[in-house]
Amino acid sequence: MRGGIGARGLAGQRARREERSALAAWSERHINWLLVAPAVLLILAITVYPLGYSVWVAFVNFDFLIPGHAFVGFGNFAAVLNDPVALHSVVVTAVFTVADVGLEFVLGLALALALETKFRGRGILMAIFVVPLFIAPVIVGQFWSLLLQRPFGPVDYILSVIIRHPVTISWLTEFPWDFIGVILADIWQWTSFVMVILLAGLAGIPAELHEAAAIDGAGSWQGFRFITLPQLLPMILLAVTFRLLGAVNLFDTIFMMTGGGPGTSTYTTAYYLYQTGFQEFHLSEATAGSWLFLILVSAAIFILVRRLLKVEEA
Amino acid sequence: MDEIIPDEEHERALARELDAWLAGDHSRRHVLAALLGIGAAGAVLPASAHAASRAGWLGRQQDHLLQQAAVDLASPDTPLGKAQADAVTASTKTPADGSAFRAVAAAKGKFNNVSLALTYEAGLQALEPRNFSGPLWQQLTGMNYSVVELAHPDLYSKAITEHIAGSGAYDVLDIEPAWIPSLADGGVIAPVDEYVKKYMNQADLNDYHPLFKFLPMYKGKRWGFFDDGDQLELYYRADVFGDPKLKSAYEAKFKQPFRVPATWDEYSQVAQFITDQMAPNVYGAVHFRKFGSPGNQFAFCQQFRANGGVFFDAKTMQAQLATPAGIRTLEQMIAANKASVPGNNDLDAVAAWVAWLSGKSAMLFSWPPTGRMSENYSQRSKAVNFVPTSKIAGKVGYAIMPGKYGEMASGFVKAISADSRHPEAAYLFAQWQSSPPVSLVRVMLPYTLRDPYRISHYTSPIYRSLWPSAKDYLINLSNAANFGITDMIMPGWQDYALTLDRMCTAVWAGKDPKAALEGADAEWNATTRKIGVAAQRASYQEFLKGVGCYPDHTVDAMGLAVHLT
Repeated sequence: MRGGIGARGLAGQRARREERSALAAWSERHINWLLVAPAVLLILAITVYPLGYSVWVAFVNFDFLIPGHAFVGFGNFAAVLNDPVALHSVVVTAVFTVADVGLEFVLGLALALALETKFRGRGILMAIFVVPLFIAPVIVGQFWSLLLQRPFGPVDYILSVIIRHPVTISWLTEFPWDFIGVILADIWQWTSFVMVILLAGLAGIPAELHEAAAIDGAGSWQGFRFITLPQLLPMILLAVTFRLLGAVNLFDTIFMMTGGGPGTSTYTTAYYLYQTGFQEFHLSEATAGSWLFLILVSAAIFILVRRLLKVEEA
Repeated sequence: MDEIIPDEEHERALARELDAWLAGDHSRRHVLAALLGIGAAGAVLPASAHAASRAGWLGRQQDHLLQQAAVDLASPDTPLGKAQADAVTASTKTPADGSAFRAVAAAKGKFNNVSLALTYEAGLQALEPRNFSGPLWQQLTGMNYSVVELAHPDLYSKAITEHIAGSGAYDVLDIEPAWIPSLADGGVIAPVDEYVKKYMNQADLNDYHPLFKFLPMYKGKRWGFFDDGDQLELYYRADVFGDPKLKSAYEAKFKQPFRVPATWDEYSQVAQFITDQMAPNVYGAVHFRKFGSPGNQFAFCQQFRANGGVFFDAKTMQAQLATPAGIRTLEQMIAANKASVPGNNDLDAVAAWVAWLSGKSAMLFSWPPTGRMSENYSQRSKAVNFVPTSKIAGKVGYAIMPGKYGEMASGFVKAISADSRHPEAAYLFAQWQSSPPVSLVRVMLPYTLRDPYRISHYTSPIYRSLWPSAKDYLINLSNAANFGITDMIMPGWQDYALTLDRMCTAVWAGKDPKAALEGADAEWNATTRKIGVAAQRASYQEFLKGVGCYPDHTVDAMGLAVHLT
């Protein structure tokens, strides 16, 4: 019996050893997945789950003022599409985006060209230009609001002194000055972002190309148009794409400077969704609106990115 | 790891490790581990006799915290100090049947492990529970508290989000009376009738001004205690209106007496005249017209109803803004804007105060803190240093609103969160805080934004002694409340108010008033349909029964007016 027990014990130990080595082998083969699994699960939990939940919310009633979560089909989407404020916000977002990104590109390119060559004080200037990038957008909005707000903001007074004529512009409450004020604040903050990217692109253009052009008698404008711009195109598209992604989400400066007003004239899509979802608590409408705007913005960005990739391949 | 590392020692240890690392004496792993150890040692608070000592770093931190938690008491020689002493007496000794005493007696020693989370509007409103009522309640009962500061709109939205999440994050909520229907129907707040029966002194309930007494009632239940008499009244420059040259010029021009205006048309006329005569030194009026700060809905609603407007057709629930009353209201407001300080449409309530206190305006209608600031009473507190010293102290008069009917604009109610894990404790704190002697102190604090709302506040000899015209100020607040009209207390008020605010700012920017009103009507009708026409009809009927819904239902119209001398 004793030998039998010993034999069974040894067999059991062998079986356990074999199990452990099978497990070890399996772990060895799948170590990569095991290591990334916690991060993947976390990402799934905080992105995929809320996304899925938001799809459900978009198709039911989820409104604090109306009890229950009855299925409403495409009712929430229809409510957003039929809301003139929502449609207006799309137009306003487009206006701000085109104006902001367009002006930031022009100014950013000009600054990058100016800072391309080394000169005394270049480092300090670059540091000064880059400072606004590190300021939170809500602080930028508050800062510009204090500058522009009548009657206590200094801008009207300073302009009056410069042009020697009273200036009484209501920068935050009158069209088109409210738009101009918001665009100014956005340009002030983000132009240097474009500048930095384009400056990096300029540094990557081989100097021999300009030298060869100069030998062939090309002027500076021709050099810029036929050498600099084409060489810079991938970086331009990169900068514009990144800025577009930021500009379509314009919220903080609107919140602090105009509150979406006067009326709803400066409602961007982000501000509209905030008001609808978090002030009025029409959560299902706001969620449906988020999906609609996501599809719209994704289509635009998809076209840009494809263009960018084509240029890179060329 | 058991020893306490004071600040200097901590710094020296950090410096040693970093120097060694920079010199290459330690590996990176060693430095990180050592830094973690130093940091943990500095953070760990061992339960040792040495930890209890006041001599070390921990002792200094504890002293600092205790100082923060100490009640901010004024000298007993001062009116405020006397009121505070009376509040402590009422809470601990007599009258034993007072609601303050009853609340403390019921709570004392019973809830030592409870910490109440109180929501308050961020800024000045939150100073009071931090400096006075919070620490005093803690000393009297042993109950802990924490103050959650929120922007005004978040007092509504955060209460709802926490309720949806079921977090139980808040215990006592500061809410507007106009939110009660939404929050009660949504299950965010709990009725307090059972606790009132058990703990409240009925006479203390009757001490409320009649306008405020019934505001926390909804569908036959009580949903909290009214706690802030936000009655708008008109403040005017007595020196300007008493100027004999202006008087004769006005009477010569208009063939009418030069007086504090009694109607809204007269208001615009008087304001424009003063601007024409005295600008840029003084303008006729100043208003807060900026979107959301706090919003144009209050000004519009009071004038609209004074002009005979009604919000809805009671049968069809169709909005009635785009009517002659609505157009007249907006035209009057536009005329008032023209007569006001430059940049009037950009001003929020605080900026309007700045212009008023700087002597730039002859008239301002605003909340009761205006009166206290005008006499430099509020500015005694460093917390109110964002408004300038008043240049018009001693020159301010008080009147009820032109058109007679001023808005009880916003206000606050102390409500109990339906998700609170300590509802009885929360209730007792709310009862004590709003009791007559304690609330008198709270409306007398220099930095307070809480305004008088009890008869005992208006008649308090202590409050009346705060500045020479304080008695007139209090009497006028009570008179204004006699003719006060409330916000539209029904579900969806936030949506309706937002529409009005947006409509007004669009008109200030040049939109045609009729078109703006029609747009607002359409938005209101959409909101009504969304919530449910039948449900809103029932809610509107409830509103129509309430005191202060319309001019024919004011405290005075219902024969309940309080006449004070």
